[in-house]
Amino acid sequence: MALCAAWVAWLDASLARTAYATGYALWAAVLLLAAYGLRKKLPGLPIGASRHWLRWHLVIAAVSLGLFGWHAGLAWPTGAVEGALAALYLGTFASGLVGFYLTRTIPRQLARTSEQFIYERIPRLKEAARRDARAAVLEAVHATGATTLADFYADRVHGFLGRPRAWRYTLRPTGAARQRLFNELRGVDRFLTDPERDAADRLFKLVRRKDDLDFHAARQGLLKAWLFAHLALTWALVLVGTAHGVLALAFRGGPTP
Amino acid sequence: MLTIARRRPERWDKPLDPGMSDRAVDRLLRVPPFVAMDPAAFPRTTPLRDLLKHDTRLLNREPGQIVVREGDYGSSAFLVLDGQARVTLENLPPEALGRSARRSGGLTRAIARLFSQRQTPEVRPADAVLPTPSLPGGGVFLQDMPAVLSSAGVAALGPGELFGEQAAITRAPHTATVFAETPCVLLEIRWQGLRDLMRHTPALREHLDTLYRRNHLKNHLRSTPLLAGLTDAALDRVAASVRFASFGEFDWSERAKADAVLDPVERLRREPLVVEEGQPVESVVLVRNGFARLTVAVGEGHRTIAYLGRGRTLGAEEIALAADRGEGPKWRRSLRAVGHLDTLLVPPEAFLKEVLPTIPGKQRRRWAERAALPDEEHQPAIGAAAARTLDYLVDQRLTNGTQAMVIDLDRCTRCDDCVRACAAMHDGNPRFVRQGDQHDTLQFAQACMHCVDPVCMIGCPTGAIHRDEATGVVRINASTCVGCSACANSCPYSAIQMVELREPSGAIVVDGDTGQPLLRATKCDLCNGLPSGPVCQHACPHDALVRLDLTNPSTLAAWSQH
Repeated sequence: MALCAAWVAWLDASLARTAYATGYALWAAVLLLAAYGLRKKLPGLPIGASRHWLRWHLVIAAVSLGLFGWHAGLAWPTGAVEGALAALYLGTFASGLVGFYLTRTIPRQLARTSEQFIYERIPRLKEAARRDARAAVLEAVHATGATTLADFYADRVHGFLGRPRAWRYTLRPTGAARQRLFNELRGVDRFLTDPERDAADRLFKLVRRKDDLDFHAARQGLLKAWLFAHLALTWALVLVGTAHGVLALAFRGGPTP
Repeated sequence: MLTIARRRPERWDKPLDPGMSDRAVDRLLRVPPFVAMDPAAFPRTTPLRDLLKHDTRLLNREPGQIVVREGDYGSSAFLVLDGQARVTLENLPPEALGRSARRSGGLTRAIARLFSQRQTPEVRPADAVLPTPSLPGGGVFLQDMPAVLSSAGVAALGPGELFGEQAAITRAPHTATVFAETPCVLLEIRWQGLRDLMRHTPALREHLDTLYRRNHLKNHLRSTPLLAGLTDAALDRVAASVRFASFGEFDWSERAKADAVLDPVERLRREPLVVEEGQPVESVVLVRNGFARLTVAVGEGHRTIAYLGRGRTLGAEEIALAADRGEGPKWRRSLRAVGHLDTLLVPPEAFLKEVLPTIPGKQRRRWAERAALPDEEHQPAIGAAAARTLDYLVDQRLTNGTQAMVIDLDRCTRCDDCVRACAAMHDGNPRFVRQGDQHDTLQFAQACMHCVDPVCMIGCPTGAIHRDEATGVVRINASTCVGCSACANSCPYSAIQMVELREPSGAIVVDGDTGQPLLRATKCDLCNGLPSGPVCQHACPHDALVRLDLTNPSTLAAWSQH
């Protein structure tokens, strides 16, 4: 930033156009930021630990915002390419801020669940929970012939275990559904036979597990979706930024430093 | 899916030396110690003759050539058949042992490894070669042998002498260097063979104990900090008084998984008691191998206040303080074996006479001050995180790990960069599972911990799983692994995964007789040789994953506060 300021001051003093200097600096910053994604594809090379790259990624991102303001000015650009480029930069920067917040809050939320799950295994584990619940209820029915718990399961629990959660849960998960089911299970308890009670205890555990699985799927999914969006914006920014640079240099109209 | 049938590999498909002839075996059976062994004592599946034919090999060494090098890990014992070898009694400088300070070309290796990954994971062609894990490279010559020979610190090893056996049996580094003084003929016995020979020949077992007392005991005592002030003569007297005692089972891994989920009271009850709080002190305990749990009675139970590993001692403080007070010493704590524990016991009389006078007054004052403090003042409160973590580490026997993978779940975003990096460096198959036991917000992932006592090696029939000689990293030689799963079943931490073998075409290889897939064991190799170190740790953006030496409890505590 200081180097860039010195360069700009020198250009200014020699009556040259300073936009090229800030443009080059901003472009270098964007490339360095995008290079972090490339670094992840090259594990094992002695090019610095990923944690150090992330720290520099954050610092350079903060610096790039200053450079962007300097380069583009406070007014919104008038051209279509420049407008799209500004939107892409600000979108990428904003998504970075969102990611910063998410990566520092979600891990703590995930760590509080009773068990930790690998994202790719979650669908299989959900299916296993649904199967176990069904088996527990059927076993109770076979043992006594009573269908109170089976009716309750079919009416209230089966859907919870089998259906995906609503979109709003993905964005803001809550334990309300689990709590409601727990309350209802407790309410039904007085009408159950002993084998059904054992099955109900098992259902309690499976409902909790399914809720934990949903929670992990939602939160981990959000992190993955954010990363996908951030990367997509980054590469779009690099492409449009390159086009902007080429056009700016092609139509510079006169000698430039 | 396409499959290809092949015969299931067996223990002696790849002998240590395919050129070992029947005539050589006949001659070996006529020399000690094999001449005294009873072939009838060996089972039909592992007869003496086959053990010698498949698990041994003859080596010729030129004068000055190093056979075993101090600090290297070894998986073989050596018997001198002809000629004379020398063992160094003092440490030699690294240059004399042919050790270079640093391997160069790390970047080239890393790039080559990154871009030479196969498209198909776990490929093993049918004609895979068998580089034996022991003695890679054919040996190194000792620098300036005349100067080493002229020093007083060498002893001769002639025909019939065995060496290297302790490193092979205890999975520990060699404590001395042995080199050929004259042209030597040696018999290398890989440790699987040595284990079977010992199992069926009690005389050999006793002989190895005698060798330990003669060759290694003094080294062990010398490296014990408590005995650092002893003169050579005093050390000899202490060594003469030492008794050996072992606790727990050598194959402790068989019960480790079941023990880990036991009720804490029951688990403690099952751990063999070495010394008991309140009882008279009958000896100073020196830990030779394994781990022990130090506990103090609290309420109806016992709380763990420390764990002791190789080189640690117990009882000196009690005896010294009791001597100052003129009372009979009593244990202030209990000590229990966690898994298998080998100890050396020094009688109080020898300790009082030889060792106590060498202990500085400052140390004795520190002991006195510590003994005067109630536990509540210098131990974390019961139930506090630090106290629970200590209990947890010992309960799960994680104290065995020198490179445990610990994940801070409060930082881990589950991005799986660690898993992807590992897979990228290992033919597309990660060598660990990012899952495992959780304690508070720490997760101990299913990754090889490169244990102090790698029990996974105990059952391996071919020696495919071995310690890297230079680094001590536990590795699996892919071409000698027969896929028996013995190591995976032995590992108490579920850190070894069995994977299906494939042809370069991608076809799964199956057993020609049973149709079952042929397997091989895979595990973390710490990205051996990469300049970045383990890529899992290197790839973690949030500093959430670390490889820690849990044999030292302070490393985890220090990292937890990062």
